[in-house]
Amino acid sequence: MSDENRRTATERIKHFLLQVIDLTALGFLEPVVRLIYGEEPRVQIRKIGRFVAVPILAFLCFVGIWAAWAPHHKTKAGEVPTPSVVSEAYTTILTFSEREDSKEEAYLLSEAERVPLLQQAEAQLLKARTTAQAADEAVAHAQEADTASKKQLTERISEQLKTHKSTYKQERKTRENALKTELGTLSSNESIARVAAFREWKSKQTRLQKSMKEDLARIRAQVNPKVQTALAQQTSCAEEVQYLSSYCDILSKSNKESKLAAIDAEILALQNSMKQADTKNRYKQADKILVLHERRKKVEASSYAKASTLPMQIIRSIACVFAGFLIGTVIAVPIGVCCGLSSTFMAAVTPFIALFKPVSPIVWLPILLIIVGGFIPDPETHWLIQWLWDAPLIGELKINPAFLASALTVAMCSLWATMVNAALGVASVDEDHLNVAKVLRLGFCARLFKIILPSSLPLIFAGMRISLGVGWMVLIAAELLASSEGIGKFVWDQFNNGASDSFAKMFVVVFVVGFVGLILDRIMIIFQRLVSFEGSVAAI
Amino acid sequence: MNEPYVDITGLVKEYPNPKGDPIRVVDRFNLSVQRGEFIGLIGHSGCGKSTVLTMVAGLNDITSGSVIVDGRETSGPGPDRAVVFQSPCLLPWMTAYNNVMLGVKRVYPTATQQERHDLVCYYMNRVGLADSMDKYPGEMSGGMQQRVGIARAIALKPKVLLLDEPFGRLDSLTRMELQDVILQILSTEKITTLMVTHDPDEAVFMCDRICMMTNGPRAKVGQIVSIPFGQNRVRADVLSDPRYYDLRVSLIDFLDKCEKEKEQAPVTDSHNPYETTLQPQLALGRLGVSS
Repeated sequence: MSDENRRTATERIKHFLLQVIDLTALGFLEPVVRLIYGEEPRVQIRKIGRFVAVPILAFLCFVGIWAAWAPHHKTKAGEVPTPSVVSEAYTTILTFSEREDSKEEAYLLSEAERVPLLQQAEAQLLKARTTAQAADEAVAHAQEADTASKKQLTERISEQLKTHKSTYKQERKTRENALKTELGTLSSNESIARVAAFREWKSKQTRLQKSMKEDLARIRAQVNPKVQTALAQQTSCAEEVQYLSSYCDILSKSNKESKLAAIDAEILALQNSMKQADTKNRYKQADKILVLHERRKKVEASSYAKASTLPMQIIRSIACVFAGFLIGTVIAVPIGVCCGLSSTFMAAVTPFIALFKPVSPIVWLPILLIIVGGFIPDPETHWLIQWLWDAPLIGELKINPAFLASALTVAMCSLWATMVNAALGVASVDEDHLNVAKVLRLGFCARLFKIILPSSLPLIFAGMRISLGVGWMVLIAAELLASSEGIGKFVWDQFNNGASDSFAKMFVVVFVVGFVGLILDRIMIIFQRLVSFEGSVAAI
Repeated sequence: MNEPYVDITGLVKEYPNPKGDPIRVVDRFNLSVQRGEFIGLIGHSGCGKSTVLTMVAGLNDITSGSVIVDGRETSGPGPDRAVVFQSPCLLPWMTAYNNVMLGVKRVYPTATQQERHDLVCYYMNRVGLADSMDKYPGEMSGGMQQRVGIARAIALKPKVLLLDEPFGRLDSLTRMELQDVILQILSTEKITTLMVTHDPDEAVFMCDRICMMTNGPRAKVGQIVSIPFGQNRVRADVLSDPRYYDLRVSLIDFLDKCEKEKEQAPVTDSHNPYETTLQPQLALGRLGVSS
């Protein structure tokens, strides 16, 4: 009996898993689940081979080709980064963001929490300083060895070059004089041939010199891998030291609590001195105290001025794309539904769709930036911005006009797919279902909400899915152009930065953007499946 | 004879023809139905029987002629003429219960929540779906879906029930079950019913009178036959009745004749629709049946 129960329970779990897989369109997991339950193992293994192993293999092939090709293409920003360099850049990005997070945390810690952390950090700092020193020495060492080996190589060549230069100079003169005397005895044709031969000899000698110079330059420019690794090590050590020292700084005196305590102490001192001061000084001191009170308020409300990190920028980008997507959907769905309901309305809207749909985000963004700027001349005091800053959850994003312009650009570029799909969905409601509404003599509202909208929801959601995809693509370009804090800005900063790993960081962004886009698409697929019904058009 | 409950007179349907005169699909169709009667409309496919039914339902515009139900001329569709379509036409995003409730809410706007609930449950019970009320159409078989369609139509308490080949897409066993379901419900509800079918067996078993239509275009009433089996029919009794086969044969004969006529001479414009309407008694007399 209990055995039976257990079997039905596991069966239920299996059905639940399969349903979830079906809902999320993660079809490749289905054979895995079935294999776990021992259902036709050979069939499942074949399926896993096709739907799991083959894609992984294809991806590995891609990585292999990339790794093989990348070092052969030299650019101004260095070699095209290989997969391993990109993954290193990814760790660098992560480390940086973790450090910023810990600094932010440290800023708000209380005295009791700070002291043990500070001791720990100071010990680490000491250790890091010694390693940094060692790294400096290693770099000096490696560079010394490198210059020595290069010197050995170059010395010989430059010696050769020197001798060649002096012999060439002498020989040219003697040859030239000999030729001049010889020419008097020869016919004109013969003399031309002699001069041509002399010229050829000269150019051969200069070519030889040039190639020797090139060799020298190449040897000098050669980057020694040992030096390179030593330099990388040195940079990372220096970064760690810098981080730890600023972390210690925040834990000790730049902490919020310490700052407040320092101001309080100053105020107290001033108040005490006021008691003994004469009337003239009293005014000055009271004024000072008031200024200090103001500063105290500011410090109290302050938070750590965090440098922008990629995770933060990703969150901001996602918020921005959803803001734009929301605005776009709110505009597109009602208009699309009206288009589907009335062919007159459709006729009125069609020219707008045809005209504005192909317009690129690069055109919308500057226009919208100016328009938004016109509405919000001074973001610090504008009511909308103030309201957005004070709002819960989104307040931390510190939404600014550039953010709004980016979101509106996303809306302008992405709403067309939803609009067209909504119109199509409403216009293609099953005639039989409309007949049901006619027989029941349903009113307009009932017909809209009970029949037309439920029937067209799958198509509307299919359109929204396309819109979100388009919006995400558009957003990165918009942020790059608008300098709105986000992934696009990260790319732009890296492009302008020119550090040794900034090229690799851009590659990291490619994968981050792709991955976030994939997640957004999955979310929309789930929504679309939830509103789909048996036999609906858009059940993809 | 008292006033007919449903009176269809001179019903005409024309479709515009870009190449010339409009195509007349139904030509002056006349039919009088008494209250509570079950009328079958039978004919070859494409003869316009469904067009007549949809015109009565109001889903199809009437070119000329009139449909009077309970002394009032109809205009447009309405819940007083409930339709069961050939495909179940359930809304796939609603449960069976909500599909029925949609109509009930519309027809009983003043009823309380509880009363409506009871009504829906009652009719779902009548069609034998008390256990499947919370299922979605996609989870039900075709027969079950059509049962919901029937419950939805009857729950409207219509003056006229219009069945448009309601069993056309079902297998013959399910079809028989549903025929019994409808007859059972009608025996208590006494709703005047018009059913389009192309199955002579079904027509003879279910109907009080069968209206045979000539082949289209220009279809009209060819012959009307009364079926003498009375109320509360039991399938076994009807099948074993000797008259059953005679009636069936006469139906098939008529349909055959129509088909042949169409092949030999296409219907001409000079046809008088009233001429060919045979008296039911005459047809039955030929079969040796007294009504």
